[in-house]
Formats: sequence, C-alpha cells, structure tokens
Amino acid sequence: MTQHLTESDVRGIAEYTRIGLSAEEVGRMTVDLNAIIDSLAPITEYDLEGVEPTFHPIGDLSNVMRDDEVRESFSQETALGNAPKQQDGCFLIPSILGEGGDC
Amino acid sequence: MAQQPFGAMSAAQIQAGLKAKEFSAAEVARGALDRIAVADEPVHSFLEVTEELALEAAARVDDALVAGTFDELGPLAGVPVGFKDNMNLVGTRTTCSSRMLADYASPYTATCVQRCLDAGALPMGKLNMDEFAFGSSTETSAFGPTRNPWDLGRVPGGSSGGSAAAVAAGLVPVTLGSDTGGSIRQPASFCGVVGIKPTYGLVSRYGVVAFGSSLDQVGPFSRTVADAALAMNAIAGRDPLDCTSQPNDVDFAAALDEGAQGMRVGIVPEFLEAPGLTPEVRERIEEVAAKLEAEGATLVDVHLPNAKAAMSAYYVLGPCEAFSNLARFDSVRYGYCDSGHKDLNAQYEASRATGFGEEARRRIMLGSYLLSAGVYERYYYPAQQVRTLITQDYARAFEQVDCILAPVSPRTAFEFGEIGDPTEMYLSDMFTISINIAGNGGMSVPVGIGRDTGLPIGAQLVAPAFQDRAMMRLAAAIERLYGEAPVAPGFADGKAGE
Repeated sequence: MTQHLTESDVRGIAEYTRIGLSAEEVGRMTVDLNAIIDSLAPITEYDLEGVEPTFHPIGDLSNVMRDDEVRESFSQETALGNAPKQQDGCFLIPSILGEGGDC
Repeated sequence: MAQQPFGAMSAAQIQAGLKAKEFSAAEVARGALDRIAVADEPVHSFLEVTEELALEAAARVDDALVAGTFDELGPLAGVPVGFKDNMNLVGTRTTCSSRMLADYASPYTATCVQRCLDAGALPMGKLNMDEFAFGSSTETSAFGPTRNPWDLGRVPGGSSGGSAAAVAAGLVPVTLGSDTGGSIRQPASFCGVVGIKPTYGLVSRYGVVAFGSSLDQVGPFSRTVADAALAMNAIAGRDPLDCTSQPNDVDFAAALDEGAQGMRVGIVPEFLEAPGLTPEVRERIEEVAAKLEAEGATLVDVHLPNAKAAMSAYYVLGPCEAFSNLARFDSVRYGYCDSGHKDLNAQYEASRATGFGEEARRRIMLGSYLLSAGVYERYYYPAQQVRTLITQDYARAFEQVDCILAPVSPRTAFEFGEIGDPTEMYLSDMFTISINIAGNGGMSVPVGIGRDTGLPIGAQLVAPAFQDRAMMRLAAAIERLYGEAPVAPGFADGKAGE
C-alpha cells in the first residue's frame, strides 16, 4: 500500500476540518484513508487529454434567476430554535479573542 | 372484526377500500400505528412515529370522503407514508441518524414531504438510515441498525435501510428515501421491494439534508410498481426552492400496462462478468432477460467501457461534496455542542469529533484531502472528466436501447458485521454508482429469491435522463412475470418477526 498520507498529514487535516482526534484515532484514520486513496488509483490512470469535465449532471443549466420578491421568512425565534446556546436573541459562543477578551 | 393489515395493503387497495366505505382513513392510520408499535420492535425501521400528524391527516381525508371530494385530494390520499430521517417535516426531529442532529427540530418541511402531504398521504414517521447517508447497511446509524425483515440477522442495505425495511415488513405501503450512489436501489434489492432513484432533477432536494449535491436524488419505495408511480406523481416536478429541479408533465401511473413488447433492452456484458457478482444474482438477471425476450422485448448488448472508473470517481466526488456540505455543522447555530470549552476552536473540534460517527469523519477528512492544493488536480478534476466519459457511454447506449437491465447489487443481503473494511463495503454499490454519476434514472424491481441464499434479488433498470417512465413500464412487465413483492414471510399474516 502506498503511503499517501502520514500521521502528521492526518493531524493537519483533522485540525483544518475541526475534528479533534485522539492519537489512537489518528493512527487508525491514517490507515483507512491510505487504503481508500489507494482504491482511487483508476482515476489517475486514465488518458483524459482534451476531455471536458462535467461538474453537474444538468450541464446546460446556467444561472437560474427569479424576481427578488419579499416573502415570509423564519422568525428570529425559529432561527434560534435549534441553537445549543443563545442569549439576548443571539447565538452564544465562547470567546474568540482569547480568554478574558472584552467582546 | 380482525384488524385490517393496512400497511401490508397496496396504496391502490387502501384507496379502493376508503372509497367503498369499508374502513375510514382514521382506521387506516390507527391500524398502521398499532402495527408499527408491535412489528417494528424487531426491525427498528422507525426512529420517530408521528401519531398526531397521521391522525390529523386522516381526519382531513375522512372529511373529504364525507364531502365527496376524495378524488380531488391527490395520488396518495389516505396512504400511510414514512420518510427517511434526512427529510425535514415540521413537528419532527430530522436526525440523519447522527448524534450531531439527535435533537434537531425540523424548522420547515422538505418539498418532497410537503408534496406527499398535499397529495393526501398520512405521515407515519421518520425512518432510520446510515449516518448522513454514508453507508450501504444502515449499520452506521447512531441509533442502532435496522434489521432486514427477511432475516433479522442481516442488514437491510443502505443508506435508506429503514425506508426499505418498513415497506418489506408491511408496516407502510410507501416510503421515501434518497440515493446518492445506490442508497435507494440497494436496500430495495436487499429487502425485496421496489425502489426508484429518479433522474437527477426530477424531484426537489429542498429540505433534504445534503450529502453529495450533484448526486443526491429523492425517490419512493413500495411493494408494487403502481404504488411507486403514485408516489412519483406526487413528488416529481419543478420546485422554485431547488433551482436544479425540472418541470414534469408525465403521468407515471399511465404507462404501466404497455408491457415489454417492442422494447429494446440493453444488457451490459462487462457488468455480468464483473468479479464479485455472485452466480445466483447473475443467473437471475440472465433469466429476467430471457423472459423479457420471450415477452417480445429485443435484447441488445451495450457497452459502458468507462463504468469501471465510476467507483473511484464516486469516492472522489462524494466525499468532496460531503466535506463541503458537512462544514455547516458548527455546534453554534444547530447540532451537537460539546460545551464548557474556553475557546471556540476547542468547542468546534470536540463537538465535531463527538457528533460525527467514524464513517462521517472519514469522508469529511477524505474530501478535505482530495480538494487540497496539488491533490485536486490528481483526483477531483479527473473525476469530473471521467464523469463526462461515463455520461457519454450512457448516451451512446441509449441510442440503441430504451432501457438497460443490470444487477442492483453483486449479492443478496449480508450479515451484520460481515463487511468491516470500508473499501469492501463500497463495492456493494458497484452497479449503481455510475447512474448517479451520469444522472440518469435507475430503479430496483424484485425478481424473486436467490437459489443459494433464499434472500430477495433485485433487477436494476436504467432509463435515459427524464425517460423514467420507460423503466417503470419495463418494471411493471417484470412484476407481472415475478409477482408483486410480498411482505417478508416473518411479517406476513400478523406475525412480527417470529
């Protein structure tokens, strides 16, 4: 099996995707991802010179426009209804400017 | 009088009984609720049962029966319907079978669900699935797996395993699922029911939690092709809230009795020779082909030389789109929150690590890697080029044939835990994935039980884009040859899995 990713790479991806993994989970994920990436090899072995990509099955769809009409929308209460934490009609999060920051 | 097994009846039978005043819609709803309470215990297809919504909808149907306006209600009037739990329905949670969304209250109703309600359906509840639809067995559900009604020691397939099992166990006649790489067709095959993945764009995706936005499509499960057609009539068509959805003026229920006579049916030799295809499935598909020929269809060999790259293209495109779609779960606006952290990044990392299951974490991280600089050019861009080749393969095949006949899955339902390796699990979608890549319609129709395993086998029919009626016509012809899908034996005649 080719080593596409090291454990250090996987720790970097975990940080980027904001998924906190334990050391043991990083090890297992590294093995799994390398195996999956190995199985993707056929995609790298094709002669695709001059072949246009298809990014979407409805390829001839261009910008779909509509009139900009005011319609009924969520109430603030509904929009906040699933928030794990809220305060004064806002989403509540931990400090983002460092501990004890005035925000 | 003994309780009528409403869930085991077809939609057409229920509607005939309602019109003949043999029973009321309230009795249908109550009967289905009672049956779910008993018979779903060993299956675990429902995550939430919506008793109140079902009884309210039934009251509206009964009012229409009294007022003489029943025929105006719509194609699913009085029919109990269940919804995969990635579809929003106000008054229910929409969990995607994930701890991440365990408490998520639907803030609005998905268009496909709303159209069923508008068509007179009785909403019975929400159905189990692989977490975020990542899987082929329903084993990745955070709330425990669904069991196959044909053999409770086996998986129902996935990701729409709950939707397939509920129909196979005779709990409801119709359910909706979603299919990104085979997630309707494979569980339909494993559970011996009809399952349709419509052409991409035929059904609105609005309000369905996104997995792979260029691949996802909603479709129905049922035990008869006619019932699936009723559901298609209810859900298909343009929705201003999904700009990829397309108008539909086809009556899917109208084409069903035309038979196979005169149809050109494509056979893909490289599919039938694929390693891993079990003999009982291969021989059954060959038998179906021979029977269709005897019915007056013409068999034509067609080739899909690039379909062999579909699997790797899918496992590039799917995780990339999933990575993007699942970035929204931030533990702030909604979803699981691991609280008590002093800074936001720590909250994100803890919440996403705990909220997502293993397969979801794997796909998010894989997608992130594949879209990174230098890697994108090696995998993602070529995968989109391969998509062009696969689409062209199908276009060329459909110059010669009206429909393609193929296996759905290389084998019948497997046992729990039998497939532990992710890449081996991915192979169970080897015949279904290329259809999502190209965007065509595809469906599974039951063709009896396997001679070796004694478990249901499905035949896959594939239609040109927006010619879904052609595959449904052929499916109806096959249904006449093999019989309508029965309720799984352990759940027939009032049994509950014994």
